[in-house]
Amino acid sequence: MITMFKVTLASISLVLGMAAMAAPKLQEEKELELVDFKSVKKVLQKDGLSQSVKLKEKKVEAMKKEQFVVEKSRYTYPTQDELWGFVSEYWLVKNAQLLQWDFQKPDYGLEKSFASVLEGMGFYQKKFKILLLNNPSLVRAGLPGSDGEVILLLSVPFIRSLDLSKLEISLLLLEDFFRIEQGYFKKAVETEKLRTLAGTNFHGGKPDQSMVQELMTKYDKQINETGFTFQQQFETTKKMDSFLKSNPELWNSYFRLLGKIDRMVKTNNQYKDYIRLYPSPEMQVKWLSPPEKVL
Amino acid sequence: MNMIFLLLFSSMLFAETSATDEKLIGVFYMKPLLGHVHQSAVKESASLTTIQCAHPVKVIETSRVQTDPLWAYVEVADHRGFILKDYLSEKRPDCFQARYPKFYDSLNLDLAELYYWGRLYDHYVQGHTRVH
Repeated sequence: MITMFKVTLASISLVLGMAAMAAPKLQEEKELELVDFKSVKKVLQKDGLSQSVKLKEKKVEAMKKEQFVVEKSRYTYPTQDELWGFVSEYWLVKNAQLLQWDFQKPDYGLEKSFASVLEGMGFYQKKFKILLLNNPSLVRAGLPGSDGEVILLLSVPFIRSLDLSKLEISLLLLEDFFRIEQGYFKKAVETEKLRTLAGTNFHGGKPDQSMVQELMTKYDKQINETGFTFQQQFETTKKMDSFLKSNPELWNSYFRLLGKIDRMVKTNNQYKDYIRLYPSPEMQVKWLSPPEKVL
Repeated sequence: MNMIFLLLFSSMLFAETSATDEKLIGVFYMKPLLGHVHQSAVKESASLTTIQCAHPVKVIETSRVQTDPLWAYVEVADHRGFILKDYLSEKRPDCFQARYPKFYDSLNLDLAELYYWGRLYDHYVQGHTRVH
């Protein structure tokens, strides 16, 4: 009898144990077991519950779409304008040790003097960034910035070698400002990838890093090797001429400055590459000089 | 006993003075892509830490630190130093990193590059011409 009772008890506990091991039911499932929704469907419709469920579903769908748009926008390349400024600064960062711009520099008060020269020429609402370099091998350069801004580089050893005044420095910067305005740099450096990828989306893939790398290589080449053509230099000099003509003091300063640069690049071996990149101060002086009268 | 009381009283007095002397002006946000918290209010001074655009900084006012009117005395994490006021914004700025996060991350800027990018903004001579 006792054995029979023990066997029954064991089998009951086994069944109970197995029941306990099965996955617990959700509250919703339990409710479904208790309520036959089909029978109360009409009541629910009258209460507008199914409508609110539909509304909720629509809301969730809209939120999901919105989330996808936000997520997709994270995979966008910057616009061309933003890329120019970003890549110019990235190039400056990558070449920081070579260019040596991280040093204690003299305060030439250029933000005011250059702004005043620009305003004198009628250039309003223009933004500029000037970066002075402690490097004689890169004398000057103008890089495109974002939002109409220009980044102008100028060597402090070069300024010292020529003993340039604040006004003369501003005139040098004005030349580079004109080169940027003319779009010479962008034309020389622009790549097919920049044109096609800028502002596009790469969702589901990886960004094409070669776009930035190609631009960096072309920056190097343009700034250190190619420079500007005679035609571009002629156009820049003529532009300076026409803008400065109304102010004889500035025009004379510019004319004297070109003569100073010409003499120095011919005598100082440190600046022998200057003529290759900016051909040539001697020609610039000639272009500005009045034509000789032939009797 | 008197001595201990005197010491306690003087330390309480000091704590009160230093607490009232220091004033939190507010929480501001870094504007440039990257920037530095400087050891002193000089552009070329050593960097205590590099911070990214939109990083919140606490601007503090205290009689113990004399600040140049162009610079703000700030607290960022464990560091206290100086940031140019021009680089701080009251509102969270719209940063390049936030607009193009995947593109920016793909560049994998190393520590030296982050450092130099911050320094770049300290070394720029920035200007603009008037509105006509």
